[in-house]
Amino acid sequence: MNFILHIIILACLTLIPALGYNMVFGKGKILHFGQEGISLIATYSLWALIVVKGFSYPSALAASVAATVLIALLFAWLSLRLEPDGFGVLSIAVHLMVLAIVLNWQEFTRGALGIPGIPRAPWPMDLTGFAVVVVIITLLWSIGIWWLDRGKFGRAIAALSEHPWHAQSLGIERSRVHTAAFLIAGAGSLLANILYPPYIFLLSPTDYMFPAMIFLAMIVVAGKPGSVKGTIMATFLLIALKEALRFVPLAPSILGPVRLILFGLILLGVVWWRKDSLFPQRRLV
Amino acid sequence: MTQLFVNALIAGSLAALIAGGLSLVYGTLGVFNLALGQMVLLGGYVTWWLHQELHLPLLISIPGGLIFGALLSWFTFEVFVEPFWKRHRFLPLVTTIALSMMLDGLILLIFEERPRAILPGLKKTFEIIDARISFVQIILIVLTFILLALFAYVLHSTPFGRRIRAVVQHPHAAESLGIAAPKLNRIIFILSGVLAACGGIYQGIDQNLSPTIAFSITIKAYAAIIAGGKGHLWGAILCAYLIALLEQLAIGVPWFGGAYISAGYQQTVALAVIIVFLLLKPNGLFGTHLRSA
Repeated sequence: MNFILHIIILACLTLIPALGYNMVFGKGKILHFGQEGISLIATYSLWALIVVKGFSYPSALAASVAATVLIALLFAWLSLRLEPDGFGVLSIAVHLMVLAIVLNWQEFTRGALGIPGIPRAPWPMDLTGFAVVVVIITLLWSIGIWWLDRGKFGRAIAALSEHPWHAQSLGIERSRVHTAAFLIAGAGSLLANILYPPYIFLLSPTDYMFPAMIFLAMIVVAGKPGSVKGTIMATFLLIALKEALRFVPLAPSILGPVRLILFGLILLGVVWWRKDSLFPQRRLV
Repeated sequence: MTQLFVNALIAGSLAALIAGGLSLVYGTLGVFNLALGQMVLLGGYVTWWLHQELHLPLLISIPGGLIFGALLSWFTFEVFVEPFWKRHRFLPLVTTIALSMMLDGLILLIFEERPRAILPGLKKTFEIIDARISFVQIILIVLTFILLALFAYVLHSTPFGRRIRAVVQHPHAAESLGIAAPKLNRIIFILSGVLAACGGIYQGIDQNLSPTIAFSITIKAYAAIIAGGKGHLWGAILCAYLIALLEQLAIGVPWFGGAYISAGYQQTVALAVIIVFLLLKPNGLFGTHLRSA
């Protein structure tokens, strides 16, 4: 039972940022690979301030919201300024830069060791209670995203991704829509990171490295880029697969590389399968 | 200080080898290959395996590594680049991420996580103008210069090189003049794979091969390409040396009132170069806008 609860919690905490990221990468077709950079800023500005610097929860949360908004705005500004592939590479560079700072700024982040003793309060201490809270928050977040996706914002970002000039000629403002998409993605990262470190009582930088970013991109591509329903299904399927692999009777030194190869093959397969919806060929008018 | 310049020359030669081939690929196809670091390492690992495990002489092991590099890049082009690139220029960015994961897994399974050196043991060093350098490093630097000079000769003084430059400058115009651009794209990609394997062999001889360095190799190569101007071969090579020098200076000289920057920040130099150039000079130091009719 505990393992099923663990899978549900993990899937929900992956789904929250995945749905936000889907708005940028899936729906907006913006080559953004810096989502884990946003998560790093959100989580360290919250938990390092509370645990290492002794801030109160509300003041640290306010600082974390401010930091997340700033980094999301920075990414939005960069995406508007650069060519799509240039922004893709730059977003990776920004993520790795933030990671390098986290790994080297020992006094504030405790480096590669991470920050242990993350308090679970104000959330319930028992696993069932915590799972209920996580599921409720995920449900509310999913409904919110679904509402945005079906509404004016969803149509605007889809139009911009398909044909920016035509969309802008219809009065859709690219800078506003893209900024909103990055803020939604940032909010997803923040929300997930308010809950994830308290779940495992640890903030570890290894959870925010580039493979985590690839996993998010894989979820979005596998679920059909831009689709909320697809992202939800892909998250549960891929998390279940990832966790189920733990039971394969192989030594950890073999299981890790096998998992990498398997997920690489899955990513290649889903890109092949979804190549028309990931970056569709422009329709001629 | 001299030592920092020598270190930059050693590290820059490695980066120049990798970035040179890659800049041609970016110039012709306009695709980013994020599995480059793993391709570099595999060229080195195969040479290590032939030399250290099969005990073949170095003169046979090195061509073996280069042939493997050519085959791997050919396979990469046919499976991970060409089928997707035809649909959309950005798709290979994602498919090569998938390839990098698979190659990472294969490297860990076959060659394990511990460092591997093609020529293990201490290398004899000697002093030149207050700087220590090994004989092997001098050979590697000289060979890199010879290789790059040969590359320059082929590119600038042969009909084949002219065709490559034509495809890099304007693929459609080149095709209209009867140049088989698709065939040349394939050749350029394979050539970049061979240069990447050269880089892996260089790394394996000079230091160690370790799966953890793959991504930083990729990032450094792209930093050189972006700083030099996308598709500008000599700009990329020059910037590879410049970034290596900046990396050495960043941690090798005292900053901020005599304090040294932690060595952990060394790899952020290449990242900072990418960020600064993309923001302030997106066309790089030597890049120019393509004229359009």
